[in-house]
Amino acid sequence: MRLRRSRKRPSEELEVAAKPTYAQLAANAADAQLASLAAAGDDAAFTTLVTRYQPAVFRWALIFSRDADEAEDIAQEVFVRMYRQLDQYRSDGLLSSWLYTITRRTANQTRRTLKRRSRLALSPAARPEREIYTTDPGGRVDRERAAAVIREMFSELPVRQREVFDLIDLQGLTPAEVAARTGMKPVSVRANLFKARSSIRARFLATHPSYSELRK
Amino acid sequence: MNCNECLAALETESLREMTPDSPVLRHCATCPDCARLTTMLRDKEYETATVLNSLPPMSNPLTVADYAVNTAQRRRVGRVAVMLSGAALAVTLWFVGARIVYPAFEDGDVGPAGVRTETIALTCLSPQQAGDIIEPYIRSQRSRYFTPTSGISTITVRGTAAEVAKSRELIRVFENDPGAACRATATSLSKLERDLWRLQGAFPNPNPNPNPRSNPNPNRGRATTGLLGPSDQPLVKIYRPRESGPTIPEASTPPK
Repeated sequence: MRLRRSRKRPSEELEVAAKPTYAQLAANAADAQLASLAAAGDDAAFTTLVTRYQPAVFRWALIFSRDADEAEDIAQEVFVRMYRQLDQYRSDGLLSSWLYTITRRTANQTRRTLKRRSRLALSPAARPEREIYTTDPGGRVDRERAAAVIREMFSELPVRQREVFDLIDLQGLTPAEVAARTGMKPVSVRANLFKARSSIRARFLATHPSYSELRK
Repeated sequence: MNCNECLAALETESLREMTPDSPVLRHCATCPDCARLTTMLRDKEYETATVLNSLPPMSNPLTVADYAVNTAQRRRVGRVAVMLSGAALAVTLWFVGARIVYPAFEDGDVGPAGVRTETIALTCLSPQQAGDIIEPYIRSQRSRYFTPTSGISTITVRGTAAEVAKSRELIRVFENDPGAACRATATSLSKLERDLWRLQGAFPNPNPNPNPRSNPNPNRGRATTGLLGPSDQPLVKIYRPRESGPTIPEASTPPK
């Protein structure tokens, strides 16, 4: 007997993205002003933007990377690209969405580069073990824990699934917002979310006494 | 709801959106296995979200911003350099094409090394003679000439356009010069005739014609000497040069 999936209708889960609040509109206007100043060459405005968005970019990058160090590299590259492309930013959209797009693209490119480099390497055994480098012992523990979580939860998932699962189940975005941010169709978001949940939870569900006989 | 339906729901549904009166949680209140599983899943997701959301970046934002500005400017300069290098490469390629490759095509020097091949028909010169004539002019790499082995009177020249043209011109000059090569000189004719006389003396005709008038030789007066075949036909015919040549001695008196 196979497990029967209880699926909700798309309209139940994919509610329409909420309208931005006045605070969000004000924050977006401030971001747009800072972006235009930074595009004009104001380095202080750019520094303010980096200070404001570095944690978010780092958090987004975490889900695309193997560990926190790789996420730091991705975040750094995102801000380099942001500085170069600031004149392309249109202030009618959210700066965070624009930055997320850059993060996504940079992470994909970084992953391709790493894959190519690993193919070019002599052998996997010849590569040194990647170690988390930080002088802060507490931070080191946190980062090792984060790397372990990423390895445990997301290593087997395709990038789209891990991205959708992270945005919806871990960061609390709605599927409509995720669809708008990633450029995916709502149906694809929903399908990827279900696949991701199923893959992640299968290991835990397997501990249920009746799960094995249900799978037969 | 039974355990099967609960597991199916737990597999794909959002744990955040489960309210206490949801069917899954109501079933969990009665089933310890499903309750343990639901708690485990919730804890795991909560722990993952906490670990990832609370991890701060290690880099200083000021350093990140400074590095981004410097790197972006450096890349901009690098892009300009790459564009200039590309433009220089394009100009170089255009120059090479316009000054070297295109003129070579215009001259007909087609092929990878500008080599062309041409077969020249010979009417008077032998292929060996033609080869002797043109050999000093076929000197570039991959240039050479071919003489046929089947007896056909041609020569094939392979070389640059200039070499082929020079060979063609030389062969034309020698072919049109009556006393140049193919017309036998008096000296060579005399030598040949002496050799023939010597051969005839060594191998005389075993059946000479007793009455030459009854079987007149159709070549009489033209073929003057040489070995005779079974029916008094000369095996070799020698013709005198038209313009000038040596005086052919009489057949009865072999030259000394």
